[in-house]
Amino acid sequence: MKPSASAEGEHTAVYFDTVTKRFDDVAALNAVTLGVGRSEFVTLLGPSGCGKTTLLKLAAGFLGPDGGSISIEGKRVNDIPTYRRGIGMMFQNYALFPHMSVADNVAYGLKTRRVPKADRDKRVADALALVKLKGMENRKPRQLSGGQQQRVALARALVINPTVLLLDEPFSALDKSLRTSMQVELREIQRRLGLTTIFVTHDQGEALSMSDRVAVMSEGRIRQLGSPVDVYRSPADPFVASFVGDNNRLRGQFVSMQAKQAIVALGDALVRVPGESLSGLEKSAAVDLFVRPEQFDVVAPEEPCTIKGSVVAQIYQGGHVDLQIECSGGAGERLLVRSPGEQAVLRWPMGAPVGVAIQADQCSAFPAA
Amino acid sequence: MNQQPFLRIFTAPATLCAVGFIAAMVAVLQYSLRAYVPGSLDPGGFTLANFADLLKPLYARVFLDTVVVCAMTAVVTLIVGYPLAYALVRVEQPILRSILLVIVVTPLFLGEVVRTYAWIIVLGNNGFINSLLLSLGLIGKPLQLMFTPFGVVVALVHVTLPVMVIMLAAGLSHIDRDYSRAAESLGAGPIRVFLTVTLPLSLPGVVAGTTTAFAWTFSAFATPQLIGGGRVNMISNLVYQLGFSSFNFPFAATLCVAGLALTALVLGLLQLASRPLRKIEVH
Repeated sequence: MKPSASAEGEHTAVYFDTVTKRFDDVAALNAVTLGVGRSEFVTLLGPSGCGKTTLLKLAAGFLGPDGGSISIEGKRVNDIPTYRRGIGMMFQNYALFPHMSVADNVAYGLKTRRVPKADRDKRVADALALVKLKGMENRKPRQLSGGQQQRVALARALVINPTVLLLDEPFSALDKSLRTSMQVELREIQRRLGLTTIFVTHDQGEALSMSDRVAVMSEGRIRQLGSPVDVYRSPADPFVASFVGDNNRLRGQFVSMQAKQAIVALGDALVRVPGESLSGLEKSAAVDLFVRPEQFDVVAPEEPCTIKGSVVAQIYQGGHVDLQIECSGGAGERLLVRSPGEQAVLRWPMGAPVGVAIQADQCSAFPAA
Repeated sequence: MNQQPFLRIFTAPATLCAVGFIAAMVAVLQYSLRAYVPGSLDPGGFTLANFADLLKPLYARVFLDTVVVCAMTAVVTLIVGYPLAYALVRVEQPILRSILLVIVVTPLFLGEVVRTYAWIIVLGNNGFINSLLLSLGLIGKPLQLMFTPFGVVVALVHVTLPVMVIMLAAGLSHIDRDYSRAAESLGAGPIRVFLTVTLPLSLPGVVAGTTTAFAWTFSAFATPQLIGGGRVNMISNLVYQLGFSSFNFPFAATLCVAGLALTALVLGLLQLASRPLRKIEVH
């Protein structure tokens, strides 16, 4: 999956051009090409070891590429050391200087740029106000909570007006409620300042909720680059389908193509699914259908449906109910089905026989690996 | 609670050693309070006279010299050891790192006497340094390096270096690399990163290393004995002379007690002075 060549235009802030990086004999990045637009928030999403952090470190200059080139604002930076790249970076553990006060931490990047003291003090105050930490100037990092430390790290990275903000899993150390509010806040600040941002995470929820575009990575390649909706609704391959969001994988057999749709046999039932990636398959070739939990409808077993089974677990989530349904007849395969509202709690009790219908036009189908 | 019997077995050797050590210390302390009977190996009655004798200029001088030699050794060892420790921690090529490690650690296995003899060969009037300087015509007659505080400090630095480097390297390796990366990302070049981030964060290691080097050197015997040759005396040498040449066991014991007290005092002061550093969380 490559972005269009036009990605490297005048609106490109960061451009990775067929970048390759090896550690010993292991290829951490395999000819990755990615353009990040000015003011854009791009997330590198993938499991650990997929190369997302390596790509970020290459942008920061902590590592050098083995092949390809990296440009920031149109200027090739392969041979430019980190301290001349004008980047701002937030680290997973914040890396606040423990021997300096909050104000000195934030002022650090201004001192290296020889900003005069009066101007410096004002910008530090502004940055701390921006992250709502007024009055904390003289505290030491260890006297702050995790959330406050993160704000200091953000202020420190923002105060230098970086050309690009690099974020390395900055929320992973926060508890869940704090994480959500920090995500919203960071995104607000990023929008207000129009900051080009590259964000690394393994949390697909975080990626979907924050990004303009998501680059889903695995094994040193970008598997899909697109808006959160694209990535969720139209995954490019089975990896993306199963990594981003909850998904059910159903094995079926290819029957035929009709227009752009494919007919796939699931047990005795036939479903009509989007067929772009199935063209050219032979009859009765194995096909994997990926169906989101919310793309199922639970019905009474006597009604027309695709799969029959029984409820084996009910997980009440407030706004919706997750049901686990064990398919009858099969090898005890379980489906995760999401039912909005709370009627499902009473209507489909544990052990109840149910039918499951698939909103087949919404799901994704790939030739089975 | 099943661990209890095991704990007892495992701590038994250490306890035995400690008991022996404490007994010896008590004996030394007891001797230091006894009168010296010339011509007799047995001590006389209890007295504080030995401690009063410590203030005699002859002995006070040795204490002062010892502290000065130890302080100089600690400082020079720190200056020589820091770059070595830094390289040891930061060098990435495995081969280079192994070479450094061998250079640093090997002296530990050679023993003080062997290392000191090597320095006699280097520092002597016909030794390596003087021969080199003479043949280059830089000096007209040999420099006096042996039997000087300078020579003693040089040899002691070599003896102490492994300990210093190991302690500094331990401190440096605990500093998360993200701190220096963060500084770089904020526009700091290598020198600024070192001076404003790495060095301050390594200060706890510096204090630990310096303290240990000081204490390590304080009890030095073979090096000042061989290189000082009687002209540079440290406490251990004085203890040896009094105990084994004059058989004045009580006063030798007093010197030991006083030396121990002085070490404790200096280390205590160092710890006190470095208290603010302990609040630095390096992780």
